[in-house]
Amino acid sequence: MTIPANLKYTKDHEWVRIDGEEAEFGVTDHAQEAIGDVVFVELPEVGQRVTAGESFAVIESSKAASDVYAPVSGEIIAINEALEDAPQLINEDPYGKGWIARIREVGDEHQELMDAETYGVFLQE
Amino acid sequence: MTELAKTPLYDAHVALGGKIVPFAGYAMPVQYTAGVLKEYHCVRGDGAGLFDISHMGQVRVNGSQALAFLQYATSNNVAALDDGQVQYSALLNSDGTFIDDITTYKITDDHYYLCINAANRHKDVAHLQALAASYDVSVVDESDRTTLLALQGQQAQACLQPLTGTPLDDIAYYHFAACTLDCGGQSVAAVISRTGYTGEDGFELYLPNEAAAAVWDALLAAGAQPIGLAARDMLRTEMGYALYGHEISDTVTPVEARLMWITKLDKGDFLGREAVLARREAGAKQALLALKLTGRGIPRQGYRVLAGDMAVGEVTSGQHSPLAGAGIALAYVEPAYADSDRLAIEIRCKAAAAERTDLPFVRSRVRRNK
Repeated sequence: MTIPANLKYTKDHEWVRIDGEEAEFGVTDHAQEAIGDVVFVELPEVGQRVTAGESFAVIESSKAASDVYAPVSGEIIAINEALEDAPQLINEDPYGKGWIARIREVGDEHQELMDAETYGVFLQE
Repeated sequence: MTELAKTPLYDAHVALGGKIVPFAGYAMPVQYTAGVLKEYHCVRGDGAGLFDISHMGQVRVNGSQALAFLQYATSNNVAALDDGQVQYSALLNSDGTFIDDITTYKITDDHYYLCINAANRHKDVAHLQALAASYDVSVVDESDRTTLLALQGQQAQACLQPLTGTPLDDIAYYHFAACTLDCGGQSVAAVISRTGYTGEDGFELYLPNEAAAAVWDALLAAGAQPIGLAARDMLRTEMGYALYGHEISDTVTPVEARLMWITKLDKGDFLGREAVLARREAGAKQALLALKLTGRGIPRQGYRVLAGDMAVGEVTSGQHSPLAGAGIALAYVEPAYADSDRLAIEIRCKAAAAERTDLPFVRSRVRRNK
């Protein structure tokens, strides 16, 4: 189970890469493992505003649909269109090619997210 | 919460990295470490997939009036069976709705074997035993002593043949034979039928529980891959095979479920016949459709079917079909809308356009010749 040290994490198993006023996010290695083989990702639209905790994307496996919650609030400025044809990228590279969206105007909500060490402990509990 | 039952292969599933979930009261593997899609492609491709389906129930029916009893208790024509033949059939209520769908194995004129759904087992057995009181017949639930494996895929026969002296070529589609399996020196008595739930060539193997692990291990050693429930559901949905609790239940009759081909109204009286006859005259209350999404998305059980902006039905089974490359669904709709060209499935408040298609969704490769 990989938990990169430079990312922040939510209790819903999303990761966030903070980059100044922008943030990129996706789901964690633990999440992709629990979801199983991803066969479809319903992406949000660029320009859409999301609020932290709001469901903004859906990952479908052969078994079920799982909501992805926005880890922080902001405006979506990019979505990972590669997931439309290759949803399995979420399984193969959850922290890299399997990213889901980028947002801007990130507030300071991310201060409340877990760091890698805390998330690792959270997974153990 | 009641304790989940375990099949004799539970430890083997865990050892293989099986992800265990509750299913019909059993702790069953939904997938193994390979993952659902690899498991699916093993069976649909050119491999052999091995499924533990021991949760399913088995009932032995024995006695001088066994034929008369089953002619009354089941919907299909048992008199048409040869010794060694299998038949898809149903147990119906007096109102024509389904108690269960089953397979009937004819051993001899007075000896049969039924395979029933796990979730319906106790209901089925109680129902059959109550009916049996009027016949010279015994109905014995053998589920707890029986292990059932399915070996499915183009390599199924090549995997299984080295374990038995019985020429598997001689077992035709929907036929069976009593065989002896040699598994690492252990001799195992098994009933092997050329049946399945995947649309691929393959077999189902009925075994005594004591032999389960030896046969399971021998088939894996022969090259079969273990397959979990998730891939099994993908495979059966692509074939449009009905599943109890989805397409069939105690609210629909064979008229709605497109199962009149296993309901032989002209074979004489049977339980539910009058009601099915009346329903056929009156017309189906709902139409069972096969739908394929024209765009993206995956339909799920319970999603609404729309005609324009009107809700006209509900999805009973939905899946992603890797081979069709689309979301597929079986759904009941109001008969008046069955031919609508504006059908859609509502996925998270949005209408996903769907088109009617024939079943199966992808080509069946069962071996019907011979």
